[in-house]
This record gives sequence, structure tokens and C-alpha cells, in this order.
Amino acid sequence: MNVLLQFWSGYARMTRRWPALAAIVPFIPVVALWSAVAAAGIFPRAFFPGPVDVVNSFFTLIYKGILPDYLGDSLIRLFTGAAVGMALGIPLGVLIGTSRWAHRVCWPILLFFQAIGDIAWLPILLIWFGFGLTTMTFVIVYTVLFPVVLNAVLGVESVPRDLARAARSLGASPARVLWEVTLPGALPNIITGLRNGLGYGWRALIAVEMIVGTSGIGFMMFDARRAGSTVEILLGMIILGLLWYIVDAWILAPLERATGQRWGLVTS
Amino acid sequence: MKTLSLKNLAKTYFDPYAGSHVNAVHDVSIDVEQGEFVSVVGPSGCGKTTILNMIAGFIPYTGGEILLDGKPVRGPGPERGVVFQSFALFPWKTVLDNVGFGPKMRGVPKAERDRIAREYLALAGLSHAAHRYPNELSGGMQQRVGVVRALANNPDVLLMDEPFASVDAQTRMTLQEELTRIWQERKPTVLFITHDVAEAVFLANRVVVLSKGRVLDQIEIDLPRPRVWDDLVKDDRFKQLSARVLQMVRAA
Repeated sequence: MNVLLQFWSGYARMTRRWPALAAIVPFIPVVALWSAVAAAGIFPRAFFPGPVDVVNSFFTLIYKGILPDYLGDSLIRLFTGAAVGMALGIPLGVLIGTSRWAHRVCWPILLFFQAIGDIAWLPILLIWFGFGLTTMTFVIVYTVLFPVVLNAVLGVESVPRDLARAARSLGASPARVLWEVTLPGALPNIITGLRNGLGYGWRALIAVEMIVGTSGIGFMMFDARRAGSTVEILLGMIILGLLWYIVDAWILAPLERATGQRWGLVTS
Repeated sequence: MKTLSLKNLAKTYFDPYAGSHVNAVHDVSIDVEQGEFVSVVGPSGCGKTTILNMIAGFIPYTGGEILLDGKPVRGPGPERGVVFQSFALFPWKTVLDNVGFGPKMRGVPKAERDRIAREYLALAGLSHAAHRYPNELSGGMQQRVGVVRALANNPDVLLMDEPFASVDAQTRMTLQEELTRIWQERKPTVLFITHDVAEAVFLANRVVVLSKGRVLDQIEIDLPRPRVWDDLVKDDRFKQLSARVLQMVRAA
């Protein structure tokens, strides 16, 4: 019991010094199990490759330059889509959140289109825009847009009424109230929306790349299926998870916490 | 003279659930002279917060007039500073920037509004907290910021809506004493809304008792200043005045 406690306190100190450790250690048993199953030879090697095979294929694809290119393509698509989605979503969300009329007009339409998932647009998009970048961008923008709009509306509506009143009675015009009170007050929710939006967008992008793509991580995985390369498929899956972990845990979550704490919305 | 006058002020609103019109405030007339401290006290539902919200311009009134310096007021404006029960500090701004917000809206340059903000923070003994954020302060300190933020904008009248109702009892007494001290130094015109009879009597030159949307009576408070709780709890005149106001409020 004592040994376990000592081990635990040692682990707690180590992870405080190197926070990345806390992200890596839980995967050790997962990878160990995977190696064990692969090594046991229950499934044919070509059908169920082990971690070493996947790492090898990682280096091969990097060496060939395929992986960096595809990864770059996917990330650029995601971030362009996210940027456009935010540029449309934040103003729309603020408008719906501040104007009762805009809310009445837009809300039912918003909910209607939210229900038509990103992939459900593909058949009509393929007819309109064909297999190309326009189709992909449309899907990403569409996916990012809804979480951003809905959270921006929530954020605007959650700004206490007294804050706007205080600003008004200190001499702020309605436009300055928007800039000085409404937007900063809604910012933590907008970042939450962005975080969700990028998460959904990343998944939608991979799906679209499988169907529409000529490059990208999704395309790589689907292409590997055609060649029967399970190694590359698994590699693609691992990259998806890793990349999202980095973006979410190291960029988005700290950003969300920073605004939430400063604003006094998160107490922990 | 910057006098605040309410003349036959009334507020009627339509209650969609009851399907009828409700009179929240009928025919209220109160005058607050420049440099006067007037408390409005009454049981909950007597319309006191509604009156303050109408003066502040947050909600429209449906009858009578609100005159500031002889001119009717409509909508919120910087000449009527408000101190909120919820403090209403901007959580993303430092204490210094909260207090400098009013001057900023008037276009005062950064250096000058920081100077103004520091002057008022010193008045409330908050100089050390200038660069902290509201959620790092206790409730009592937050409301001190709320009070000086309104004062730093140099309003003609200061409207205070149960500002000390959400702090603990000891802090409340300290804040009340500080408010009387600041009032004596600066002589702002104050309309102070409260349901606490002792607080109303302690602070004011005059107490207005409100009941069911009407003025029941107005009582001059001729207690000497400076006022401190340690003295006043033993003071017969204070007890007498408080008892009289309390009787009226309870009968209301």
C-alpha cells in the first residue's frame, strides 16, 4: 500500500513538472495490449499489424513526402473552413443574440439546417460543385458554423443585463456596449463554440476527403484500403487522434480556461 | 441647482398571464435637492426598484414626469450614475479600467482617466487593488469599486439600488459608514433604495416610505454627522426615528 502511495506521489510530481507525461502514460497499456495481440499472431499480420509496423510506415511515408503533403492539405482545409465559419458565425450569433427580431426569423431556420448533417449535403454538393475544393470547404464551413453560432447566441444571452445597463449609465452608446460588454462577455462561449466546431469539422473533413478527396489524411486512408494496406489505415487513424489531441489540449482548452477564469465563469 | 424631481410618476404594465394591467407605481412625487441624500424604503413589491429603473432610464415610465435640473429624462445617461445590487463590474477589466470606464466613454485620454480612477480608488481605500480583476476581490471590495466607478463619472445624481444587500452584516456596516464619509466629502446627490430601515435612517437626510406604489410619508433625519454605528446604536434619537420608520413600513 505504502509503495503504491509513493509511486502515486512520484507520478503526481513528475506530471506537474512535465505535463506532457500525463498525456502519454495512459497510452502505455493501450499500446502494450495492441503489441501483445499483434505478437500473439491471432490475426494475420497483414490484417492486424503491430505498433512497430505502423511506426515504420510513418517514417516511410514521411520519407516519401506523402504524409507531410497530405497532412498539410488537411490542416489548411480545416483552418480555412474554420476561419470562414467563424467570420460568418460570430457576427450571425451576435446578431441573433442581441436582436429579438433576428432571433425570431433565424432561429427556426438555423435549427432546420442544423439537422441536415454535413455529410447529408454531399450528394447535392457533388452535383453542384463536383469533386473538389469547393465541396470540401462548404462542408467544413457548414460544420463549424453551427456550434459557433449557437454558442455565440448563448454567450450573448448569458451576459448579465446589469452589465449592459451599467455601461449605458456610464455613458456608453449602444454600439460601444456591443464592443465593450457584449462581445467580451460572450467570448468564453464563442471559444467553446469554436472548440466544438473544430472538433466536428476535423471529423467531417476526413469523411469528405474519403469521398471527394485527391489528397489529405482521409484520402490517404481510403486509398490505402484500395491497396489493402492496413498499416497506412491505422497510421491515419492514429494521426487523427494525435493531431486533435495536440490542437485541443494544448491550444483550445487553455484558451477556453484562460478566458473563463478571467471572466470569473470557471471557479476551479 | 441640479434637482431631481419625480412628478406624479406612474408605471403600468400589462401582465400577459393575469391578462390585465398592473399598476406597479402610482402617482409618486419626490424631490431630491442637490447634495441631498434621500433613502427610499419599503417592503418588497412596493415599487422602489421600478422607480429607480425608471429614473435610470432602463425602463420607460407610463405616467408623470422625471425632471433632472428641470429637463425631462428619457433613456439611460451618464448624468445619472447607478450602483447595482449585483455590483455589475466588468469581469474582464481591471479595477482601474472599471473605474475609468465612464471617463473613457467621454473620450478622456488614457493617462488622464487613469489619474481620475486612482483618485477615486484612493477615496475608497482601494489603491492597492487597482490592477486586480473583480473576481479576485471580496464582495465588499467589489461594491466599493461599484460606488467609486459611478462617482468617478461625476454624475448629477447617484442612484443606488440596494447596493449593500448582498454583503455580510459586518461589511455592510463598514460600507455604510464609508458611504456617509464619502458623501460628506463630495456631497453627491443620492437616491438610495433599500428595504433595510436602519440602513435608510443611518445614511439619509430624508427617508421616503413607499407602500404599494405610493409615497406613504417622508421623514427628515436630523441626526448629526459624521455618523458611526458604535455611537448610533446607543443614540435615542436614532432609535426613535428607526422605530417610527419601521412602524410605517410594517403597517404598509
